[in-house]
Amino acid sequence: PSPMARGKAKEGDGNWKKFIWNSEKKEFLGRTGGSWFKILLFYLIFYGCLAGIFIGTIQVMLLTISEYEPKYQDRVAPPGLTVVPQVLKTEVSFSISDPKTYEEYVEGLNRFLKNYDNSQQTDEMIFDDCPGAFNNAQGQKKVCRFRREWLENCSGILDSSYGYKDGKPCVVVKLNRILGFKPKAIIPRKCCKNVDKIGTVEYYGLGGYAGFPLQYYPYYGKLLQPKYLQPLMAVQFTNLTYDTEVRVECKVYGENIHYSDKDRFQGRFEVKFDIKSS
Amino acid sequence: EEKYTTSISKGLTSARAAEILARDGPNALTPPKSTPEIIKFLKQMVGGFSILLWVGALLCWIAFGIQTAQGVASAFDNLYLGVVLALVVILTGIFAYYQEAKSTNIMASFSKMIPQQALVIRDGEKKEVPAEQLVVGDMVEIKGGDRIPADIRLIFAQGCKVDNSSLTGESEPQSRSCDFTHENPLETKNIAFYSTTCLEGTATGMVINTGDHTIIGRIASLASGVGNEKTPIAIEIEHFVHIVAGVAVSIGVLFFIIAVSMKYKVLDSIIFLIGIIVANVPEGLLATVTVSLSLTAKRMAKKNCLVKNLEAVETLGSTSIICSDKTGTLTQNRMTVAHLWFDDQIYSADTSEEQTTQSFDQSSQSWAALSKIVTLCNRAEFKPGQENVPIMKRVVVGDASETALLKFAEVILGDVMGIRKRNRKLAEIPFNSTNKFQLSIHETEDPNDKRFLLVMKGAPERILERCSTIMINGEEQPLDRERAEAFQTAYMELGGLGERVLGFCHLYLPEDEFPDTYPFDTDSMNFPTSNLCFVGLLSMIDPPRSTVPDAVSKCRSAGIKVIMVTGDHPITAKAIAKSVGIISANSETVEDIAKRLNIPVEQVNKQDARAAVINGMELKDMTTEQLDEILINHSEIVFARTSPQQKLIIVEGCQRQDAVVAVTGDGVNDSPALKKADIGIAMGIAGSDAAKNAADMILLDDNFASIVTGVEEGRLIFDNLKKTIAYTLTKNIAELCPFLIYIIASIPLPIGTITILFIDLGTDIIPSVALAYEKAESDIMNRRPRHKKKDRLVNEQLAVYSYLQIGILQSVGAFLAYFTVYAEQGWLPNTLLGLRVNWEDDYYNDIEDSYGQEWTRYQRTYLQWSGYTAFFVSITIQQVADLIIRKTRRNSIFQQGLLRNKVIWVGIFSQIAIALILCYGLGSVTALNFTPLRVQYWFVAMPYAILIWVYDEIRKLFIRQYPGSWWDKNMYY
Repeated sequence: PSPMARGKAKEGDGNWKKFIWNSEKKEFLGRTGGSWFKILLFYLIFYGCLAGIFIGTIQVMLLTISEYEPKYQDRVAPPGLTVVPQVLKTEVSFSISDPKTYEEYVEGLNRFLKNYDNSQQTDEMIFDDCPGAFNNAQGQKKVCRFRREWLENCSGILDSSYGYKDGKPCVVVKLNRILGFKPKAIIPRKCCKNVDKIGTVEYYGLGGYAGFPLQYYPYYGKLLQPKYLQPLMAVQFTNLTYDTEVRVECKVYGENIHYSDKDRFQGRFEVKFDIKSS
Repeated sequence: EEKYTTSISKGLTSARAAEILARDGPNALTPPKSTPEIIKFLKQMVGGFSILLWVGALLCWIAFGIQTAQGVASAFDNLYLGVVLALVVILTGIFAYYQEAKSTNIMASFSKMIPQQALVIRDGEKKEVPAEQLVVGDMVEIKGGDRIPADIRLIFAQGCKVDNSSLTGESEPQSRSCDFTHENPLETKNIAFYSTTCLEGTATGMVINTGDHTIIGRIASLASGVGNEKTPIAIEIEHFVHIVAGVAVSIGVLFFIIAVSMKYKVLDSIIFLIGIIVANVPEGLLATVTVSLSLTAKRMAKKNCLVKNLEAVETLGSTSIICSDKTGTLTQNRMTVAHLWFDDQIYSADTSEEQTTQSFDQSSQSWAALSKIVTLCNRAEFKPGQENVPIMKRVVVGDASETALLKFAEVILGDVMGIRKRNRKLAEIPFNSTNKFQLSIHETEDPNDKRFLLVMKGAPERILERCSTIMINGEEQPLDRERAEAFQTAYMELGGLGERVLGFCHLYLPEDEFPDTYPFDTDSMNFPTSNLCFVGLLSMIDPPRSTVPDAVSKCRSAGIKVIMVTGDHPITAKAIAKSVGIISANSETVEDIAKRLNIPVEQVNKQDARAAVINGMELKDMTTEQLDEILINHSEIVFARTSPQQKLIIVEGCQRQDAVVAVTGDGVNDSPALKKADIGIAMGIAGSDAAKNAADMILLDDNFASIVTGVEEGRLIFDNLKKTIAYTLTKNIAELCPFLIYIIASIPLPIGTITILFIDLGTDIIPSVALAYEKAESDIMNRRPRHKKKDRLVNEQLAVYSYLQIGILQSVGAFLAYFTVYAEQGWLPNTLLGLRVNWEDDYYNDIEDSYGQEWTRYQRTYLQWSGYTAFFVSITIQQVADLIIRKTRRNSIFQQGLLRNKVIWVGIFSQIAIALILCYGLGSVTALNFTPLRVQYWFVAMPYAILIWVYDEIRKLFIRQYPGSWWDKNMYY
């Protein structure tokens, strides 16, 4: 019995080297080559089947989903309001004298407005000059043109620095695209608060109209309107107080536009300006 | 004895007694030193997974610190998570601590059940005081039945006998007198020891030692020196914790490295690490195990096994050797008439616990004569006022054999006291060790018969010497050689059964020689004591409990070796061992074989003998190798004439064979063996406090059969714990995979850390406890005890099957739900890949989904929470399937019955109810990250739940169909 007991004791000690490669039994990590082959083959088959089943069920799930519109929109609607340039902590902070400090914002605006260049909207098959008035019966798959120059001072055409070099920064505002979403009634003037510090505010849009024209809605989705251009509004703060932090909150008004305490970008946005005069 | 400033007649004064009490402390044994409560509590705080979770919490706070410094908006999530993790550790620690304290309290209450009083003379008056307040110098009075309250030097004694068995192991009562007979206090007759019992007589004595200074106190403090071994289940759980912690840490570190090399920020990688740890650690499991064990402990307490230490529940189940006492455990601890010999024939009597009649042939005249002797030649009496108590349970004043005879007569004849009254006793010589007989002379109840009846009983050979005739069928016949040989044969046979044999004879004194007024004088013996008429033999034994043979055979089929350890004579021990089946009917000892083959004992091949009866004297001279050899070679072993000290040697011998040893014991001297054993079992009725203190378990009814039911429960809980752990480990993979895929494929996070905690500590708790109520799959008493080192609680198969098969299946099912929620909201699976960085950008408020819609950060977060909820719900639904498949490991669910364990259904309903409450009730609480979910998402993972069930049924089918196959070896856990 004593040699047996000794053998057991060794086993109990956890002989690691022997466990990794047991030359007597030709075992690697406690299994022989054949045993490893069998177990790996089993898992190959097992996971193969499982992958097949998973892909199958995903495909079945996708079959129930339309290519044209999402099944539910309760998480994305009501729409958010996006302000361009999008910057970290929505803090626009620059110094008038140093172009480098606002280069980032100008770049952001350039990038965003590039899609609104006239040269991008030439294809008559896709684009259409929507009549000025709201029209329900317009062609479904055509995209309304939105001219960049309608943004006037903030279009980047007249002033390539979007007013930043004069300390009169522009921001461009858009209502987030929601498929099939039609803003109800007209959108009245949007309003930016904190009046005493922000001074005068200029709004530019379609025909000087300070709102989102309704004829651009609804959006029919990426598949039907791959080149959709949503209407923009530009806001220029022409008389900001310098050398202090100015918080601005802008809201868009409409019957089916809602605000939420939790989502600070639903139907409104906030921007902080910190402009250094020197 | 002025030394103790006391007076023999008046005792101490109260004032003096109070003084000494203040000096010596109370007369009680100091309980074994216990760990301070705070240490116990802190141990719970750092044991098991706690360390890992503390590390997680710490990492959370570090991440919080860094993030706040960087001004990240979501930094507070980490603070909360850290707090939650710390809370989890503290709460589970408190819970485990509470459970342990509760089981300790059971014990505390147990030992306080019998407050002891002592009759003491103080200030010249007799007073009852609690035994704890006795002091040295007190004069105490004791009488039969009392427990001796301290070490006492006797000053006055009358017929005083004490039972010292708990101290010295001597089972015979010891007489006590005032004479100083020996230098050694243990041997001298004038000292009675604390905690022994006075059986009969009265005595007065002076207290000479109290509390820890008593002999017993010194032994008890010795016993606490023997260290406690770790219980097998503690080792198993440690093993399991190591496996899980190993997996958690290695996956965590691996993915930390992967994340860093994938250019994730170190801080993000730390946060991933926390998630991986939380997902990997089954936070609720250890609490669940504790609850399961305590449920079983409760169930066992109902079956008379009181478990002191929760973990002992399972230890009992893995027991492979039981070393059992004989008296009281295997036997009824009560002499009972087993056989009769009269008319040249042996009759056997019923020895069961609940006898009401005896069925042997009672028509013979010889029996009438014998029964008269049995009735009359007996000094034992029932205590009055027990008319309604069953005969066998009545309390009798008298020694064991006389009690047996009295009860035997009462059962057959009824109203023994009445018969004795009608046959008035005129003279009596009580039994003493020199003449070895007892004699009494009676009037007869027949008024016409004026003869006196002399009845005598005693050692058979002595009785026979005094007889010249023998009664056969009521006729007196001369006692010739042939008759004497018949007697010898019967006597040997009964003696060979290990029974105590008594002979009975009588004589009708002739009327003319002994008239009515004859003055019988027992001192001069003025009456004949020879040439009597021999009537018959009666033999008595302490019979086995009726449930024991069955229990022993159960042990045998369960692969548990039962070893009898007794202080009794080898012949008696062997006889009882045979009658309960510890030595089976057809097995022989070396001596038996030698006798059968008529060869010397040395020539017998020891391998041939299954059984062995070892004398304590032989054991004393054995080397450890010889003892090991005996333990290995013989499967049926009886140790006779052993002292309690030798028990320890036997236990150690068994443990050298890698056995899990259970030992029963009652005496103080047993406590080292009880401590040393893997599970020490103390007797609840006969056991001394010291034994109960040292034991892990207390047998409330002192019955061996209760141990076997305990073993069954212990094995069941081991099986069920396996199921619980398998159930719990499965979903850990479903919690872990999201993190891994999140890191590698950069998809929005499928499940949050808080949500994981809600599964681990919410929905999963009740179901995993419910598995403790599962019935056994097959007769668990038909398989061998588990091998301490080979049959692990968590083995490779269990981990692999739970982690790599069912766990992966579950993750896949949950991912389906996740992708469904995202796809139906506009994010098709392919858009999700690589989305993470933009998705989690707090200032990116117009990310396009598959349909060109633009999402703000909060909208995305809210959707992410819906994803969490869907993932959570899917895991819950699949855990229902997991719970059902875990009911069995081999049998089909349909064989086991879906409805037999109702608690499982409580578990399932609780699981779903908790999920519903979290989803719809608390969906609006932002911090919890749950959102109300569309009803149909509850069913998305359903096909996978069914798949899990079907797959497991197939697995079990193959295991049953092809035992021993590759499948069986790799898939049975």
